[in-house]
Order: sequence, then C-alpha cells, then structure tokens
Amino acid sequence: MSVLQTASSAIITPFFTSLASGDEVQGSTSNIGGGSNGGNMSVNLKPTHVNESCLEFLMMEMVDLMYRTTVDSENDKEAVYYKLEMLGYQVGQSLVERFTRDRPRFVDTLDVVKFICKDLWSIIFKKQIDNLKTNHRGVYVLQDNNFRWFLRMSTESGSEAAAKRSVPYLWFPCGLIRGALANLGVVSVVIAETNSLPQCSFQIKIAKS
Amino acid sequence: MNLTNSHPDLKFHYIAHTSCDFIDERAIVSGSEPADTYLGLLYTMEDLAVYGYVTNTKVKFVVVLSIPDAVIKNTDIKNLFKKIHNVYINQVCNPFYNLDGKKSIVSKKFIESIDAIGSMSSDEVVSP
Repeated sequence: MSVLQTASSAIITPFFTSLASGDEVQGSTSNIGGGSNGGNMSVNLKPTHVNESCLEFLMMEMVDLMYRTTVDSENDKEAVYYKLEMLGYQVGQSLVERFTRDRPRFVDTLDVVKFICKDLWSIIFKKQIDNLKTNHRGVYVLQDNNFRWFLRMSTESGSEAAAKRSVPYLWFPCGLIRGALANLGVVSVVIAETNSLPQCSFQIKIAKS
Repeated sequence: MNLTNSHPDLKFHYIAHTSCDFIDERAIVSGSEPADTYLGLLYTMEDLAVYGYVTNTKVKFVVVLSIPDAVIKNTDIKNLFKKIHNVYINQVCNPFYNLDGKKSIVSKKFIESIDAIGSMSSDEVVSP
C-alpha cells in the first residue's frame, strides 16, 4: 500500500514542476518529466510539457483508488482521509522545497501564508487565492472561487449533492497546504469545505507555539 | 585541539555544531531589510574557513574550506551553495525519503552528487 502512495507522489511532483515551468498541452500525448528526481542541476533545462488533463484524471482516480483499496469498512472514511492527506503532505513539502529556492527568507507566519496564497497557488492552479481572511490569532481562511480541479465536476442532482460528494477531492489539497506550511516551519491543521462547486475554502489553524 | 587521531571526521562534526550557533545569530531577521539566504563567512578556525547558507525551509548548509592562497570570491561560494541546494531539492522530492524522519540521508545518489561537488576543480565552481 505504501508503495502505491509513494509512486503516486513520485508522479505528482514532476507534474507540478512541469506545469510551473512550461505551458500546458491540452488533448495531445504528454511527455511526463522524469520520475522521482524531477529537477535537474543544469540551468539550460528545456521545460517539460505535461498534459493537464492527465493531472486531473490522476487526481480523480487517486480518490477512487483510495476508496477501492481501503478494506477496513469501519474506519473507511478516516483511513481514506489519512492516506490522501498524507500524500498531499509529502507533495506539499517537496513543492515548497523546490520553489522557495531563490526567494529571500520569510519574515513571519503571515508572509508564509501569503506565499501559499499567491506563489504556491499560481504554481499548482495557475491562479491566486481569491480571498484571504484572518483573525490575527492564528486562523486563516483561504477562499478560491474557481477551484481548478472542480471546474469539470457536476452531478445530475444539483449543486448541493455535488458539493457533498466533492469533499474527498479536497483532502489532497488540504495535505498540500499543510505540507507546504510544515516545511516552512509552521505547524497547522487544514480543513476544507465547499458550499457550491467550483467555490471552496480552506481553513488553516496554526498551532500556538 | 587534537581530535583527528581518534576519528578523522570528528573535527568536522564539531565545526558543524559550532556553526549552528553562528547561523542562529546571523539568521535573526532585522525588520526593515529582506533577509538573504546566503550568510557568508561565519568564522575561521586554524586554517579553515566556514561558510553558511540557510534555506527558507530552515535547512542549514555548512561548507568548510581550507583557506587557499588566492582570494575566494563571494559569488563562487554562492554558486557552490546553489549546487548543493539543487542536489538537496532532488533528494527531498524523492518520494521514498521521509523528510520528518530525523534520520541522516543515506541515498547513494545524494552522497555521490555531494562528493562530485566537493571534488570539483576551481574552474567548474564558477559556473552555476
């Protein structure tokens, strides 16, 4: 089981790296950037092009996979949540390691959260977070009004049912945010909720030091 | 200080530990200016110069050089740290590496890359 998870995160990190560095090539055969060592030491690296549809299919299938392969029926939801979130956690850590390389250092926690809202979101979803709210006591709410991975999701029974069914697809992005924060030195808990697709919001609770 | 007889690398472990204190001193960010990742020359000891570099993810790199006769340029050391950082990033992106595990890195590829950087001639150091 753990091999499956590490293999999935091995494929996902180069996807994001390529999306950041190159353009998307919709609807054509893709060229997936090399394995687990997605980066390269030389500066003259041509950006690897990756099909964004592949990434969306991978995300969809990943949630499905976790449900299919989790045998324990009692703790089903917890186990699936844990697996998807930890997957996102590790990918978030790697992403942050790679993309904070040439930046000046962060001043405080708000700086870190702003980095996530602007830079990290642009890398993964090609847009920034639409709304950031904070109570200045360690709780931040990030709102995305047009969540990229929800753009092609719908059900025949209307938006409320769709919102309920889309919750597992938010667990991986939760882990992504938590991993990114953790590697930058901020311990947190991230909860996601959605009222109507494609809008969703992530609530970050930062542990008191 | 005669540590080299008991264990050849012990001296460098000692240097690395004392460097941590120096790095913590230098890394305190003053409010107005944006902090840089390269910390420059930390200190010198006998015939060794110690340089420090801290990443945004709070990982510290320490480079210990024996002081040559020629002057070492800051840009050379910065490029050196850039290469080390790249190798480290590749290691972290390896899904089989647990970042929170608190174990030292045992990957062969990582060790080989770092050794390759260490044995680079001075001409190669200049190019990023």
